[in-house]
Amino acid sequence: MTTNTTLPATPTRRALWRRVRLGAVAKYAWVTWAYLFLLAPMAVVLGSSLDGTTAYSGVVFPPQELTLKWYRQIPASHYEALGLSLALGLSVALGACLLGIPAALGVVRGRLPGKSLFLAFFRAPMQIPAVVSGVAFLQLYYVFGDATGLFLNATFVGLYLGHLFVATPYVIGTVVSVLQRFNLRLEEAALSMGASRWSTFRRVTLPTIMPGVHAGALYAFMVSFSDVPIAMFLTAPGFLTYPVELFFGIETDFNPSVLASASLVILFSLGLLLLVQRVIGLDAVVHSRG
Amino acid sequence: MSNVWKMCGAPVLAAAATIAVTFWSGQAHAQAKPFDGVTLRVGTFGGPWRDDLVKFVQPKMEALGMKVEFVIGSPQDNLAKIIAARGREVPFDVVEILDAQVDQMADAGLLVPVEYNAIPNASQLDAWQRGANAVGNWTTQEVICYDKGKFAELGIPVPTTYKDLANDKLTGRVMYADITGGGGLANFAGIVYASGGDTNNVKPGLDTLKTFKGVKFWKAGGDVVAGFKAGDIYVAVAHTGWCLRAAKFAGANVATAHPKINATKTGVLKVGWLGAVKGTKNAAAAMAFMNAYLDEEFQVAFAKNSGVWPVNKKAMQRMRTEDPVFSAMNMLDPADVDRMLRVDYKGVNVNNWYDQWNRAVSR
Repeated sequence: MTTNTTLPATPTRRALWRRVRLGAVAKYAWVTWAYLFLLAPMAVVLGSSLDGTTAYSGVVFPPQELTLKWYRQIPASHYEALGLSLALGLSVALGACLLGIPAALGVVRGRLPGKSLFLAFFRAPMQIPAVVSGVAFLQLYYVFGDATGLFLNATFVGLYLGHLFVATPYVIGTVVSVLQRFNLRLEEAALSMGASRWSTFRRVTLPTIMPGVHAGALYAFMVSFSDVPIAMFLTAPGFLTYPVELFFGIETDFNPSVLASASLVILFSLGLLLLVQRVIGLDAVVHSRG
Repeated sequence: MSNVWKMCGAPVLAAAATIAVTFWSGQAHAQAKPFDGVTLRVGTFGGPWRDDLVKFVQPKMEALGMKVEFVIGSPQDNLAKIIAARGREVPFDVVEILDAQVDQMADAGLLVPVEYNAIPNASQLDAWQRGANAVGNWTTQEVICYDKGKFAELGIPVPTTYKDLANDKLTGRVMYADITGGGGLANFAGIVYASGGDTNNVKPGLDTLKTFKGVKFWKAGGDVVAGFKAGDIYVAVAHTGWCLRAAKFAGANVATAHPKINATKTGVLKVGWLGAVKGTKNAAAAMAFMNAYLDEEFQVAFAKNSGVWPVNKKAMQRMRTEDPVFSAMNMLDPADVDRMLRVDYKGVNVNNWYDQWNRAVSR
């Protein structure tokens, strides 16, 4: 009795191999397309900011004649606004963490009836249109000012609180998702070894939930840094945020120095991402592992 | 001692006299500034618009002793801020207003009466620009801006009405002002009136708009310039300032045509206004700012930079010689300007216009 197992296997393996290769090619093509889709707008902005043939309005891509003249013509107001936005974004991210972490711990660990209601409540600022939040905060500041004599409208603190309102839910969301998968035995082990509750939180809980905190802080920063609808109601002379400066600038006119200014921000953001990658690892930021 | 006095006395006296005169003149100079200690907040547009005000008007105001702060935002945002602050400290003392809002703001009692005695430059305006609660500070002539070369190449006659844009040869090459963008309301009103409608019946305008095949819409004027530069569009409905930029900066071979609206009206005129906000403690400073805005020198410089047309008659005259290209794109004869459509927004439900536009155009 003879059996022939090799003859039919050869074409099947080839077909399989072809299918695998085709699949890999399709996967790489898809990923390439996705990257192109994401990066193309940035490439256009960066490229056209270097074009010397554009005398005024209009975007020329690819650049016909390389120049840095638009970078030299970036108005000083853009730098001032950028500085303010960075400071605001960082302080909002910090404030959102200080508020968001205890709130997330309370919601996940607390023996509260209707926890899902609390979570929905904390998410509410994300669901309110930002322009409505802006008007509401402006009105609130007037009412508060009438009652206390302290008017927060057109102040940095007023703008900060407005941004904190919309940014904090992002920290709560990411920290809650980490805490829900948190292994409580780690804390129990620390406590049973004699660690205090504070020491357990500082040395066990906080490091474990840190990926969620990083992710939430990054979202909070981005929400604050890119906000227009709230800031346009709460900014005042002397402190205009970068997106508001840019938005109202291009509404009345368009000068390629705007492209140069935006390019600097893109490069800064890429640099920041690389720095985050080097210092804490990008994976730690994007993956909220418990 | 007397010798010493003789040697030093004269110079000392001279120095003392110099110091005294300098001090006195300094005092006199300081006293001459009528707005010392005043901070005037101005609600205006952003970008180069604000930059021109900072460059040209702010120094004049500072010479009068006042500090000027610019609060940038769209007129709609500014209106929302004024309403929110009603009865309290005003968010700005003087504000730029578009024609679609000026009556609404005046009727709501949000503006103080204009003191024309304090605005001598207002004598250079037409009577209709000297409103009770706001003063006209710029205009734009909303036109059909077309590529002369492409029209000649395709054998399309020079457009005279909006309906001329429905030509098959212009499929995908027409750009119209989006209702939410600059000039959107004025140009929408223009096509509505030209199609036989009015502010209460905008459907005829929407029907005409729907006959433009593959029409694109612009929100920021830069889109018009970029469209001509890239060769994507052959014709756009926008104000002459954008047509000028397309010609000057994008090298487009463009000209303007003021669309015929009806038997008596040709072209559409949009007007910008300045008003002092009710509740301001700096009404006199606000009037001084308005006067500086209407100054001939500023009006000329601003027209050249921003592409809006002056309201000061002397500035208009100067523009004829100093910027002949821009002048050629605008109607200059006061009688012609009088015949342009100025939309009366009193009682108009603009939100209803937006709704109808969204239903018809977005489809």
